[in-house]
Amino acid sequence: MRQLQRTRAIRLAAAFFLTAAVLLPAAATATAASPLVLREGTTQDLDAMNPFNTNLVSGYEAYLLNYDLLVNFGPNFEAVPGYAASWTVSPDGKTYTFKMHPGMKWSDGTPATSEDARWTLQFVLDAVKAGKSIGVGALDPYVANAGITAVTAPDPETLVVTLEQPNPRVLQMYVPILPKHVWGKQTLATIGDFKNDPPVVGSGPYQAVEWKTGEYVRFVRNPNYWGQQGAADEVFLQFFKTTDSMVQALKSGELDYAHSLTADQLNALKGEPNIVTVAGGANAFTELTMNGYMKDIPGGGASTKALRDPAFRDALGYAIDTKVIVDKVLAGYGVPGTTIVPTGGASDRWHVDPTNPRHFDIALAKQKLDAAGYKLNAQGERLDKEGKPLNLRLYTTSTGTEWQQAAQFIRDWFGQLGIKVTTQVFDSATLGNIELPPEAGAEYKAKWDLVIWDWVLDPDPNNMLKDFTCAAIGSQSDSFYCNPKYDALFEQQNKALNEADRKTIIGEMQQMLYDDAVYHVLYDEPQLDAYRTDRFGGWQNQPIKGGFPIGGGQSSYDYTLLTAAGASASPSAAAASAGPAASSAAGATAAAPTPAPSASGGGGTTGGSNATPLLLGGIALVLVLVVAAVFIRRGRAGAKEEE
Amino acid sequence: MSLRYLGRRAVQALITIVFVLLLNFLLFRLAPGSPERVLLRNPSLTPQAVQEIRARWGLDKPLVPDQLVAYVESMAKGDLGYSFKYRGEPVVDVIASRFWPTIILLGSAELVAMVFGLALGAYAGWRRGGRVDRIGNGLGLVLYSMPYFVIGMPLVIIFATTLGWFPTGGMFSLGVAFASPIDQLLNFLWHLTLPLATVSLALIGGYSILMRSSIIETRGEDFVTTARAKGLPEDFILRKHAFPNALLPTVTLIAINLGYVVGGAFTAEIVFNWPGLGTLTVDALNARDYPVLQGIFLFISVAVIVANFAADILYGYLDPRVKTE
Repeated sequence: MRQLQRTRAIRLAAAFFLTAAVLLPAAATATAASPLVLREGTTQDLDAMNPFNTNLVSGYEAYLLNYDLLVNFGPNFEAVPGYAASWTVSPDGKTYTFKMHPGMKWSDGTPATSEDARWTLQFVLDAVKAGKSIGVGALDPYVANAGITAVTAPDPETLVVTLEQPNPRVLQMYVPILPKHVWGKQTLATIGDFKNDPPVVGSGPYQAVEWKTGEYVRFVRNPNYWGQQGAADEVFLQFFKTTDSMVQALKSGELDYAHSLTADQLNALKGEPNIVTVAGGANAFTELTMNGYMKDIPGGGASTKALRDPAFRDALGYAIDTKVIVDKVLAGYGVPGTTIVPTGGASDRWHVDPTNPRHFDIALAKQKLDAAGYKLNAQGERLDKEGKPLNLRLYTTSTGTEWQQAAQFIRDWFGQLGIKVTTQVFDSATLGNIELPPEAGAEYKAKWDLVIWDWVLDPDPNNMLKDFTCAAIGSQSDSFYCNPKYDALFEQQNKALNEADRKTIIGEMQQMLYDDAVYHVLYDEPQLDAYRTDRFGGWQNQPIKGGFPIGGGQSSYDYTLLTAAGASASPSAAAASAGPAASSAAGATAAAPTPAPSASGGGGTTGGSNATPLLLGGIALVLVLVVAAVFIRRGRAGAKEEE
Repeated sequence: MSLRYLGRRAVQALITIVFVLLLNFLLFRLAPGSPERVLLRNPSLTPQAVQEIRARWGLDKPLVPDQLVAYVESMAKGDLGYSFKYRGEPVVDVIASRFWPTIILLGSAELVAMVFGLALGAYAGWRRGGRVDRIGNGLGLVLYSMPYFVIGMPLVIIFATTLGWFPTGGMFSLGVAFASPIDQLLNFLWHLTLPLATVSLALIGGYSILMRSSIIETRGEDFVTTARAKGLPEDFILRKHAFPNALLPTVTLIAINLGYVVGGAFTAEIVFNWPGLGTLTVDALNARDYPVLQGIFLFISVAVIVANFAADILYGYLDPRVKTE
């Protein structure tokens, strides 16, 4: 009797789960004609939709899809039409006249004119002139660096920008042109609080219509985009917590593009069907920074004055094998580093190799240390000039596992020189505090010797170069390098009119920093991405040589290059009967009424609004309760029977 | 008598909440590293910008009294403040968006684990040394000791990536226009299956182990012997006599676990890319997002305190001896 009952229960449960297993996947595909969707995965969570409030790669990426820059960045980071269709420069190089695209419209249909561009630039310019910053302060330096003095819009299709001196940086400003009819009421005091919640009104190829924090942003194609229309109807920027899950999603076909993988993951993905891996330059470098602060700091500072000595720092460079670090830590991806302008990425064309590159040679390093006056004692410890054994603290961050590994190598190599190194890991915020010198505030003491960390650059190296000027001590400078000659060169390159002249000066600056051994650049960082080719084609690297296809917060034109690969690949093909004639193939080519970002935004059932999870939760809860109740009742009923 | 018991418990709970509020304020500010530093590894940021950001978030004011007073004032108004990380999004909204995914996943997983775990534990303990006990207890111990990701990752690789039966993560298929809310619900359940299985498998162990030992203890009690002597069937004694009495210690575990449901399951959420409170906590911690962290901790503390309060009352109901103590 009992035996029988139990089998019945098991059979019932088995039947239930089997039906569920069969029904659920079937249900997932049984949908109405779905749009052609590009799904892009990243592990960096978006922080803000307001372009002024972000300094993350994902933030740049979102606003570059939403908006145009006045002048966009092309396939090789050259200046290409953006919000402005064309431009001319006056003979003295001080006046730029921009022509807008005729008849251009914002995504909501409002005419997009030079007045919008004037308003945006004037707004930032006012802040710069008042010595204020906007939001998190990441975008206004572009306007400041361009040296803009005035912006006028003599007619709806013309914008005139006047500069204090010739300055080509005006064509490289990461400042999105915003619609005045949406943003016009904002003031300097309020703009940082403006959320710019979706649906966003912009002029870029895709606009955000829905943002689930920590989950995804959904963009739909801008029917009014002035340039080529992309094949994807929608773009999902999906946020993952770990690259492991992202790789699984890419392999199972739930994702089309995965950003920033590890070397092991990339190697494992090679040879998977329909998956292409790409190892490009990330336009970033990892460096060993040395605390060269030139004054004593009570209760802080470096543990030895040796770090202030360029000869000492230079000698250490011969005890770092950057090739081994690239091979062992990055599995061969990445490029052994030299100067502070990385190779392979967006600023590659500004890189100049040092004339006298260091090579790994422990004996030579020892020789140079001896010559510079840093001798070994009887115990084999190397002493600084005060006669104290060198014992350096090497710090890095908890987020960089590669950096922690590199630190182990450096500890061993420096150990061979008789220099003891103790390593410690901090979270980024804490390490940022430790690094700062008293110039940043009385509470900061720069109590460290060596740090391994990285920098991510703009396509233009200007801001990176600026971090080694005297004025940067107390904010961005973590080498505390201060050299009037370097500062003079910095001003010079800022004024250089043509690229060749400027590159000569920038090369000189790179050489100067290399000689003074301010940083030992360990490697230029690789960008390891992977994407599927069974749903989209037309992937093109940016820069074409040594870059990677989409995202990365560099530009958004590459999204419009994508083409639909085999219309039947779309999951909607199975349910084409659900919709009227319009099949998914038609949807991919003809964008007739298109999903315009209307005010109703996520009103459709895609993704689900705020109320649905609640509803679903309720239903799930009821289901489980019902099952539980059945169990209990079954038990009671059984008990009664037997009583 | 009963009212006094209730009142005493309520006052205790309230005092704990006030204490948590104050601790909450101090704890996060004692941690090294300040929020604006997170912005600093940006080559184009100016020192003025950093100062202005500090001023905007009130970080330039001294901790006591300015920041504390502002904190108490806003707490009194039920205002949890604004997120640093999400640049001014109200904390209440940030937490609310992650609330339901967590409640659904962990709530249903708790229920499933409770039903199966308690049943398994009771049966195993009742037939101590039997086949179910040996296998069940071993399995319970193994599952109990396994972190979520160790259970979750193989499930993903087998059932999602290799077999393709279930999705690898998320709550819904992205970019799919659902024909009806039913479709959407099924899509949700399809996504829920693997994370639910993972979390419930991990939780079953705790329940079954506790229930097993509790039932073994009860098995030797006089009233069980009496029931046996009366000639009642074994199954009936287990269900009607032993099980209800053995349930008492598990009430505490259930109460504590239910309280922590709102805390989310960090590692499971990471594996399945589930947008819950667990991952929000870790993200907020990394970003030094004090307001969000305070909000979450307050929320979890209150949930645990309330759950314990409920357990205390339930105890009094289940076991009259407690009330008179």
